[in-house]
Amino acid sequence: MRTLIAFFGALLVAGHISAQPPEPAAPPSPPEKTPADTRIEELERQLRELGARVVELEGEKGEPSAEPSDGATAEPQPAAASAAASQDASPVSQTGPISGYMDFHLNRPEHEDPILDFHRFVLLFSHSFSDRLRFIGELELEHALVEGLEESGELELEQAYLDFRVNPAFNIRAGMILAPVGIINERHEPPSFHGVERPFVDTVIIPTTWFDAGAGVHGAFGGGWQYRAYLMAPLDATKITAEEGLAEARQKGFQSNVRNIAQTARLEYGGVRGLVLGTSFWQGKSGFNFRSEDARVGLVEFDGRYHAGPLAIRGEFANVYVGSAAELNDLQQRSTGVNPNIASQMRGFYVEPSVRPLPGLRYDFAAFLRYENFDTQYRMPEGVLPLKQFDRAAWVVGASYFPDPDVVLKIDYSVIRNRSALFGSVDSLNIGLGWWF
Amino acid sequence: MRRHSLVRRGSLVCAALLVFLAPPRGSSQDRKVVQVTAERFTFTPSQIKVKRGTVIEFRLKSDDTNHGFRIVGSDANVIIPKRGRGEATLIFRADTAGRYTFECSKMCGAGHSFMRGLITVEE
Repeated sequence: MRTLIAFFGALLVAGHISAQPPEPAAPPSPPEKTPADTRIEELERQLRELGARVVELEGEKGEPSAEPSDGATAEPQPAAASAAASQDASPVSQTGPISGYMDFHLNRPEHEDPILDFHRFVLLFSHSFSDRLRFIGELELEHALVEGLEESGELELEQAYLDFRVNPAFNIRAGMILAPVGIINERHEPPSFHGVERPFVDTVIIPTTWFDAGAGVHGAFGGGWQYRAYLMAPLDATKITAEEGLAEARQKGFQSNVRNIAQTARLEYGGVRGLVLGTSFWQGKSGFNFRSEDARVGLVEFDGRYHAGPLAIRGEFANVYVGSAAELNDLQQRSTGVNPNIASQMRGFYVEPSVRPLPGLRYDFAAFLRYENFDTQYRMPEGVLPLKQFDRAAWVVGASYFPDPDVVLKIDYSVIRNRSALFGSVDSLNIGLGWWF
Repeated sequence: MRRHSLVRRGSLVCAALLVFLAPPRGSSQDRKVVQVTAERFTFTPSQIKVKRGTVIEFRLKSDDTNHGFRIVGSDANVIIPKRGRGEATLIFRADTAGRYTFECSKMCGAGHSFMRGLITVEE
């Protein structure tokens, strides 16, 4: 009996200890620490040390703390948070208030002299006025030299906008913004795509980098869905050509004519690890150089990217519609003497599988093959035949070597073919060095 | 007598085990490990739901460059190492119900400001 009493007494004590709610009063002795508690304490200790070190470094630099102090947020404050890098994490890159990327190319077209070109020198700036109000700027120097002559490089303000962050589902953006169209236009850092030059489809069908003045909204619905919807300055339809498609039709925020406003939007799904699917559209009346002609230009685009383990694939399809193309050609011929042969539809697509055969290697390596098909005279105005040299296909095979995830040495060979029996195409060997910092 | 002694010892061992196995006082928090992959310009997953009181251990990896992981309105802010350079760990105690936005805090490219996500802490 005494044993039973002792047993139930022990159970009662154990049950009492385990079942009672926490009391504000301190217990007579501290509870047993679990390994998890010990780990949390260790991480908190590391955070305190890191925090002290940051304060110390900021004091050394004489800079104010980057933490917002106005507390202008509707969101609740977390009770506690701590952080620590794992032991195997190598030191991160040290970046100041400026980030950017560079693109340095050697192009060797068949039967021509090689060309060495510092293609892009891009600087990005950011500033947070508060947690809700941000500025982002992107300034690009193309081809290293700007003289104001026709064959010189370009200095472009590709992004300069304010983001008003209302909530994750709804934010407002205004300024110089990127058109949310295609894969490359919003993600064109050299290590993030294969090939020395951007895909042809992302050059003549989707004129990357496509930027202009505008404003709009963006956000995330949840479940991996994101959207953006902007009003932007329209394209200039008189600058569309058969050779370069839409590439020269951008107004680039240079006193952009906004007699009519273009509308553009993108819907993107990224809810599955490694997969991104997107679709975009653009449409706007673009004939402002001719009072009598509106010339509506539209674009519909679909794209996808997927990677799993060492394998990756991406693809894109885009179709451009040019309204009143016959009238545009006629007006252009009367005003300049040259018929630009603007098509009523242009079309392009590509697919690009790639492999990183040794993904565990610190110095990464990837090989890729890209097939592109692009036709800047896919459909012509009634009564006009398309020129076959503008119906082009390209095979691009190459490799990317990453001595660092932000540095890439690229090499590729581009084989370009068209359907004309009269006009040949020029293949090229390309070598590029690109980096992001 | 000997039998009584054995039973008594057994009951004490059981009681000690119960005391040992019982959760410590005041540690009603659950623990949840969340693996997040950052890649230009998304976090996967970008929406995380937990119960109030959960301690979230974020394990943060990148598929490309350095990214940041900052929980807006808190002092939680870590740099995620580049691809192949390990992972960052961040502990977040979700003691208050509400919605917490997290975002990339290190400029990572043209679409940097799209890199955001949401932690929903439910009652």
